[in-house]
Amino acid sequence: MSETQSDEEVPLRDRIAANPRPALQWLAGAIVLLAVEFGAFIGVIIQLALTVVRLLPSNPGAAALASAGEAAESIPTLLTRGLIPNQGYQTASGEWMGTFLGLEPAYAWLLRVVLIYAYAFVWLGWFWVGYRWFRDHYRYADWTPRDDVVDRLRSHRWGQFGFVLVLAFFVLALFAPALGPTTVDANIQSPYTHYTKYYDDEIESVSNVTVGTANLGSTSQGAGGENVGPWSYDDYGRFHPFGTLTDGKDLFTFMAAGARISLMIGLVSLMIAGFIATALAMLTAYYKGLADLAAVITSDSIQSLPVLLVLILASAVFGNTWIANLYNGAVLLIAIFSVTYWPFFWRALRGPALQISEQEWIDAAKSFGQKPRVIMQKHMFPYVVGYLLIYASLTLGGIIIAVAGLSYLGLGITPPTPEWGRAISAGQPYVATASWHISLIPGIMITLIVVGFNALGDGIRDALDPQSEGGEETGGEAAVAGGGGA
Amino acid sequence: MSETIQRETEVSSGETLVDVENLKTYYEDGGLLSDEPVKAVDDVTLHIERGETLGLVGESGCGKTTLGRTLVQLESATAGTVEFDGTDVTKLSGSELKNWRRNAQIVFQDPESSLNDRMTVGEIIREPLDVHDWKSPRERRQRVRELLETVGLREEHYYRYPHQFSGGQRQRVGIARALALSPEFIVLDEPVSALDVSVQAKILNLLEELQNEFGLTYLFIAHDLSVVRHICDRVAVMYLGNIMEVGPAEELFADPANPYTHALLSAIPEADPQSDKERITLRGTPPSPRDPPTGCPFSTRCPAKIRPEKYRDTDDELWERIEVFREVLRERDRAERSLSERARALIGMDTRFSDVDEMHEELFGDVAVPPSIQEQLDAVEEHLRDNDEAGAIDLLREEFGSECDTETPAHHEVSAAGRTSLCHRHKDEHEEPAEFFTHTVFGEQ
Ligand code: SF4
Repeated sequence: MSETQSDEEVPLRDRIAANPRPALQWLAGAIVLLAVEFGAFIGVIIQLALTVVRLLPSNPGAAALASAGEAAESIPTLLTRGLIPNQGYQTASGEWMGTFLGLEPAYAWLLRVVLIYAYAFVWLGWFWVGYRWFRDHYRYADWTPRDDVVDRLRSHRWGQFGFVLVLAFFVLALFAPALGPTTVDANIQSPYTHYTKYYDDEIESVSNVTVGTANLGSTSQGAGGENVGPWSYDDYGRFHPFGTLTDGKDLFTFMAAGARISLMIGLVSLMIAGFIATALAMLTAYYKGLADLAAVITSDSIQSLPVLLVLILASAVFGNTWIANLYNGAVLLIAIFSVTYWPFFWRALRGPALQISEQEWIDAAKSFGQKPRVIMQKHMFPYVVGYLLIYASLTLGGIIIAVAGLSYLGLGITPPTPEWGRAISAGQPYVATASWHISLIPGIMITLIVVGFNALGDGIRDALDPQSEGGEETGGEAAVAGGGGA
Repeated sequence: MSETIQRETEVSSGETLVDVENLKTYYEDGGLLSDEPVKAVDDVTLHIERGETLGLVGESGCGKTTLGRTLVQLESATAGTVEFDGTDVTKLSGSELKNWRRNAQIVFQDPESSLNDRMTVGEIIREPLDVHDWKSPRERRQRVRELLETVGLREEHYYRYPHQFSGGQRQRVGIARALALSPEFIVLDEPVSALDVSVQAKILNLLEELQNEFGLTYLFIAHDLSVVRHICDRVAVMYLGNIMEVGPAEELFADPANPYTHALLSAIPEADPQSDKERITLRGTPPSPRDPPTGCPFSTRCPAKIRPEKYRDTDDELWERIEVFREVLRERDRAERSLSERARALIGMDTRFSDVDEMHEELFGDVAVPPSIQEQLDAVEEHLRDNDEAGAIDLLREEFGSECDTETPAHHEVSAAGRTSLCHRHKDEHEEPAEFFTHTVFGEQ
């Protein structure tokens, strides 16, 4: 950037107008990326709107939204099962019919998965390029403290490992409908209204059978021939990357849909709990005294309750009420997690917030009459938000475990909505048999995700706290030292 | 800028800008258990003239920072008034207070902590202007650029972050922020004590230039007398929440009146190595502002403390030991006692004064104690053995105490220039502190 020293400050819009190339290129990238998945994006937005609408008492416009959703599905999208199908049947000659380019279903499916993950990482690159270009072309400051945070994160291998795991999980949840070898609706929710084709060797022709019937013939129950393990086909030519559940449903589809629910519950309850905790931390640190005392007492009382027991109790108590049926029980879980988790957050934020409130720049702001709300927002919050991120990433894993734990106990998310805990619970009797995959795969995935979130949290902490690294100063200081005199 | 140019013409003195009357700032500290508030500022009366620099010096913890913060309404006064151009600002609130704040700003001691380092330097200096909706955003940015130049930084520093600056540069940013609203009065809270010596002089020069240019009035807080000497017109010496002496700087340095000022001045290293000036050393540390001594605030440490008539000729060494003895008893009496200590005291197994004999030996072992004094000490120690420490302290005060221990001194006027000093020694019947020091510390010994 050329020095614009004595010029008036121009708004970002004008700065972009003055040098539009990078911004336009960047925007073009976004349009291309969006275009290939346009139908899916519209679908997700409509889904979200539908969820909100259904929470409202009279479901206004739900029908219109639903039909809009169907219309969206007909928009051609690149990474769909429709375009790269993996379901088909094998003729007697060993040829695959109905799959993408006649590939074996396993490879068709794999191709789709690889493409979807590649697509997600291209988006990530797009964000990164945007940041770099903004930094290089449009930002006035040639250095900000946040640059250091980013740079430190870039050299933090453990944190990046966590980031990749977390991203993989997010993609699994976001693209769940396209990732699974089959769909939740067809395979899990209503298997008897969907059909699947297979080549019947006895009559030597292609037959139609309900998915439910096919599922019954592809159960994983350990003993004898009743097992469809990971990376294998069942008798109906259907491919199961993770094998099947005890009732013959596809484990991968189940996991992908379950990831959605777990992630949704985790994120929403973290946002609510984080918001309460942050607002409270600001208020108690700024006003101290009685406000602080009241918050300490409230949070101590909540914290003294064993969370898991409260969860079990609340799930049981509200289990038969209308709350428990909202969004398959997720709303109830979110409410419980929000209420029980904010004290932990607040406790974690209280120390840093108090420390910041003692800084002299707060006094300086008071001395020229800045409003308390702005002081909290501008002079305190930026210093606390990092801690919030750290604790959020450390807690998200915990919430996912808790949700799984509740489902394991038969509480929480109502069946047949996929939830990881239920898979673990269902597979438990078969751990020592050929059907070991039912429990083991979800178990390993939970472990990986919790590790991922923890690693990411570690990375963020180290990036935010320069003391955790040896040298803290940057080239920026030397660059300015020449000017200014003092 | 038109405001500031106009201001330049009105550099004058003799007109009071800030008038502080019986100001007290107490604050509760350490939660719910402590019943005594910290008396950080305890009955301060002083005035600051328009365009002058008033130095405020004292040891750390004497309440000088709290006084400065109360003047800009960062702390609320417990009692008394702070009149600013005739308005009592301690009574202001809401938008009146906010408007008044434009007139009085503060520069903080620690440039590391006084700037929010998530904001650019430009945003930091602009914030006061934004808060007061000063003119248009465009003019604000222009003003910030001018301010950067004014304090010796460069315009292109606008988009730098505080991290990228040295301590001295950061302090310049702090000064620019304080200047943004063109205040009349600025509290400088030890503005250079956190900086390198080489940088200190530059910042002090800058402050003086700014004062001349904009006709500013300063309250310059410092713990270092030598800094104050050069920059201040008048100096106030503070001890334990009280102003001990206040008056024109030259006079106060050349001919201090108060014993505490004497002590502070004698602690400045002499420039002339040949000088054989004796130091006045103060024993101990200042008492807790939670529980200040009755009488003169300086009475527990004053080297010139008035003695009762009959002990005027007692050996100085011995007298000093007696004072130490009193101080020790007071300290112990004040110290928090644990529950088990209280229980032991109740059943007569006091631990605290079980070492009376040891203490006596240590304090008086190597000095000759005349029988008349020995008798008194014995009586006191008797009280101690009976666990009657209050009785022991009272007895000591009655016997060895003077008006310094019982009566709060008045602010005596000690010079034609209106200098005042808080000390009983300025009364006619006593020897002036200066005379006293001449024939004790500085004299024949
Ligand atoms: S009043 Fe007494 S104790 Fe206080 S300063 Fe004067 S001589 Fe010292």
